[in-house]
Amino acid sequence: MRLAYVLIVALWSVVAQAKESLTVLTAYPEEVVSRFETAFEQAHPDIDVQILWRMPHDALPYLSQPEQGGVDVYWSATMRTFQALKRQGAWQKLVLADQGLPTHLGALPLADRDGFYRATEMAGYGFAVNPRYLKMHGLPLPGTWQDLADKRYQGHLALPVPSKVGFAPMMIDSVLQQYGWDQGWALLAEIVANARPVEAGSTFVTDILGAGERGIAPTIDFFTASAIANGAPLQFSYAQPVAYSPAHIAITRASKHSDAARQFLAFVLSEAGQKLLFHADIRKLPVRSDVYGAKPADYFDPFAASLAHPVIYDPETALPRLGLNNAVFDAMFTEHWPRVQALFDRLRQWEARGGDVAKAQRIRALLTGAPISAEQAHEQDLQALFAKRGGDANTEAKDRQWFEAMRKRYDEAEQLLNAAAQL
Amino acid sequence: MRTLAGALLFLGAFEAVAADASGFEIADASREAFSRLYAGVSPSIREQALRGRGLFRASWVIPPAADSDIVGLGPIYNQLSCLSCHPKNGRGKAPDTPEQAMRSMLVRLSAPGKGPHGGPLPVTAYGDQLNEQGIPGVPGEGRVSVSYSESEIKLAGGESVKLRMPAYRFTDLHYDPMPADALFSPRVGPPVFGMGLLEAVDEQTLIDLAGKAKPFGIQGRPNRVWDAEKRATVVGRFGLKANVATLKQQAAGAFIGDMGITSPLHPQENCTTVQVACRQAPTLQQPELNNERLESVLTYLRLLQVPARRRSDDPVVQTGEKIFAEIGCAVCHVPTLTTGDFPQMPVLAGQTIHPYSDLLLHDMGEGLADGRPDYEAGGRDWRTPPLWGIGLIEAINEHSQFLHDGRARNLTEAVLWHGGEAAASRQVFIDLPSAKREALLAFLRSL
Repeated sequence: MRLAYVLIVALWSVVAQAKESLTVLTAYPEEVVSRFETAFEQAHPDIDVQILWRMPHDALPYLSQPEQGGVDVYWSATMRTFQALKRQGAWQKLVLADQGLPTHLGALPLADRDGFYRATEMAGYGFAVNPRYLKMHGLPLPGTWQDLADKRYQGHLALPVPSKVGFAPMMIDSVLQQYGWDQGWALLAEIVANARPVEAGSTFVTDILGAGERGIAPTIDFFTASAIANGAPLQFSYAQPVAYSPAHIAITRASKHSDAARQFLAFVLSEAGQKLLFHADIRKLPVRSDVYGAKPADYFDPFAASLAHPVIYDPETALPRLGLNNAVFDAMFTEHWPRVQALFDRLRQWEARGGDVAKAQRIRALLTGAPISAEQAHEQDLQALFAKRGGDANTEAKDRQWFEAMRKRYDEAEQLLNAAAQL
Repeated sequence: MRTLAGALLFLGAFEAVAADASGFEIADASREAFSRLYAGVSPSIREQALRGRGLFRASWVIPPAADSDIVGLGPIYNQLSCLSCHPKNGRGKAPDTPEQAMRSMLVRLSAPGKGPHGGPLPVTAYGDQLNEQGIPGVPGEGRVSVSYSESEIKLAGGESVKLRMPAYRFTDLHYDPMPADALFSPRVGPPVFGMGLLEAVDEQTLIDLAGKAKPFGIQGRPNRVWDAEKRATVVGRFGLKANVATLKQQAAGAFIGDMGITSPLHPQENCTTVQVACRQAPTLQQPELNNERLESVLTYLRLLQVPARRRSDDPVVQTGEKIFAEIGCAVCHVPTLTTGDFPQMPVLAGQTIHPYSDLLLHDMGEGLADGRPDYEAGGRDWRTPPLWGIGLIEAINEHSQFLHDGRARNLTEAVLWHGGEAAASRQVFIDLPSAKREALLAFLRSL
């Protein structure tokens, strides 16, 4: 046996292998990256994949460098970055065999109309649930956002703050698209009244639910679905109609390994690549509808679900206003969270005691109305102002203005409730 | 019968280890069983552990980057995250073919001789570990591929088992030819749960275990290594040759060695003198991992629970457990230890634990030898690896590779690679009737 080691040392050499190097920039976690890397490597042993990692908000400056930082492929769930780089002329047109790849799922586009990038997977929004908690508190499983606004769920929800949690802005906008601007914010206000805020940090939603701290958390599906597939006693309920956040893939214009890049894309979009998404540690939704025939028994099928509840949410419509939405959410709720909850609690108690309906409606209108109208929210200048938030005097002025507007409304609601209490 | 008597003499009396399913042992056989955190700590310590979990899971990025918490990868490195080599906090895997890259495995390097404190000497151009990757503009050091040759062993009853012997080939070496006398040792990422408990076993316990008379010609001795923080020689217990003194030094060593992340213990980037591009690569901050965040990773690792035994009331498992003791496995794979005082994290003190390890070095024979000394560990010596959780590896890590370089493709092969001090036990294993051998394996799978 010793001889083997001696021979091995003698084999050390500087002989270069003829592998082609492909650099992929992504924000996927290790669990996703390693499986695709390994499977692609097995299918294409002549291509060596190097992974560079960037948070979504940090990918745009990296890919805007000279030679695009040496990146050949960008693969991420940041549609905004794909759009911005498309405007810069940063992508090559994809030349792929599209057979079996849908271009839309209802209102959701699964490919760039000009052919520069294409969706590789989707993640759906819904409600992570601790069934034992629901049973203990006698609560029904929610199926819609409207359900979460019910006062029965007061104290039982955990809601991500969209300006602090990456996946949440599109989730919040999906409520606004589904219910409309005014009714959507009103619904979110009632949900905030029932929820504790969740900000980005070390605690996962699954920690909060697993510890029995709260029973329901609106969230994106894969993290909870993966936890469930790995044995967590949780459940995931999709909010019908489901809103989806698609991830995309593109080849950089500066790529010096275009053929290898196209092979990587073809693999990711192939049946074999798409089926990797079913893995218990990944649990994303394939964009290739024909692979759902091989899905695990407990897997969600968005194409089948869309037959009963057509997809109406379009992330491309949402993107320009996400920053603005976050600012509105912060002005309405984040900065006033305990107060909003206390006011709703008093209002609901007063209503339960048979309080005056007209006055109650007035108070509810104060608590649920957004500081700007739907028309204002569609103004391009205002949307552009909030595209990059923070450190800008104009943005901060708007933040203050909306915060003050909401404070005054909450003051008035409190005065009305105080008066009602004295009756 | 003589074998049984010897084992009983050593153990005092046969005592079956039952599942505790409390405290640091957790009755969880799911794929998250290696990732459960002990909850009996203050909210602030738990929060610290969760922050550590975030860092353990994080993919590190190259500078410059907006995310200053996770910036600093490289300039040369093996993988982006801790999780890469310790998937789901469990065991990494060796490539099965020469074409496959090492994704959760690396190769240690050294030059002949000893450093000033008795540790290995780095190879001038390559340091103490081959870093296959480099950030853009900095070439990686080279590649390693592995291929296998097979040999066959006949078991009593007629079964045959094929063992695969790895051979390593270094290609694309970018910084000078590798010296002909350089030593190397491949390592698969080991599981990381329960490490706080192993750290809390006091030094005297290990010294006492080493001094105890043992049957079957088994010996066992502690490695004595340099503790860079204490500036003293102490008993080593982490690393596959017990070549690292503390969990903090193990973690900080992995951050710099595997990912190129500097910390207060390793404030310099891991570039050798000839690696000019590496030395000139941009950095954003130094150290890239400050002490507070390194401590949070330690807190996370220390609080990771260990899976409790399963099926301990199964008669086959119970038979296997008895055979495990009878044929001498339990002499090194000591079922039960007690932790001592542990002021760094008092909840770990005074715990009865079942690691199935003595944390001592044993001569494992020429078959497993890497020929690379590490402090007082010789080229044939390896630390007894803990066996807790070994029965869940296949479900959690989706492979059944074992041993330091993943050459064993199942538990049977792992046992058959045992030589040196374990040669007698291995021979008894070969000679066992099939049913008893299967019972022994059933016991291992219950851990």
